Amino acid sequence: MKARRDVYQAIADPTRRAIINMIAGQPHNMKSITEKFDMSQQAISLHVKILMDCGLLTVRQQGRERFCEAHLDRLGEVAVWVAQYKQFWENKMDSFEMYVEKLKKEGYGKQKK
Amino acid sequence: MENKKSNTQDRELLITRQLDAPIDLVWEVWSSPEHIVNWWGPNGFTNTITKMDLRPGGEWDLVMHGPDGTDYINKSIFREVILHKKIVYEHVTGPKFVATVSFEQKGDQTCITWHMLFETAEEFIRTVKTFKADEGMKQNVEKLGKYLAGMKARR
Repeated sequence: MKARRDVYQAIADPTRRAIINMIAGQPHNMKSITEKFDMSQQAISLHVKILMDCGLLTVRQQGRERFCEAHLDRLGEVAVWVAQYKQFWENKMDSFEMYVEKLKKEGYGKQKK
Repeated sequence: MENKKSNTQDRELLITRQLDAPIDLVWEVWSSPEHIVNWWGPNGFTNTITKMDLRPGGEWDLVMHGPDGTDYINKSIFREVILHKKIVYEHVTGPKFVATVSFEQKGDQTCITWHMLFETAEEFIRTVKTFKADEGMKQNVEKLGKYLAGMKARR
């Protein structure tokens, strides 16, 4: 089965989010990432590979060590989509506000005619 | 290990508004089905509320009818209802979230906050993604935006 790789998939898993948070400040080598989690090295390698496929992480070979670096520019994509979803609810609130305004102008609830 | 439940930052939305209306009116418009059907749902949508039992444990069934004839079923359970203060409901059909609507009187005005907390970050991300994928919905949001801008300009 060929999995779809996008930025959503990258951050949909708590371990991958934790890896991104860890390397966001500075690159870490594979060993220090693996030590941080209660998981097998194979499991961590798979998460790192998915993050690579999603374009959020690159691995740089330095001597005998492999360093993981974060590339967070693609996360902006998610922020835009969250903002769009938030706008949907803001619009609902606008609609609510206008309806209240309309009732107020009609003198609703103040005096019964 | 990361505690999934402790940090809510990546799975919540907060909408706040100060309304130029007294709290009893704002409360009534938010809590009576005959008012809710008039403002709920995007432009072009109509709503049917078959049940709204506003008390803890009570059911709230709202169906949004899209302009293309698609029905969107929304079922919620009220968790907390405090007159003129707070309504908490759990949206039990997808997307699953707990919404807290708070009301605060500020003289003749009312401050309303709408907080939505999704079960997990995964659910939130899935919701945002599905929403993005739904072009029809997006167009409706855009249409609503224009409609509202037009209404504001006329005022």
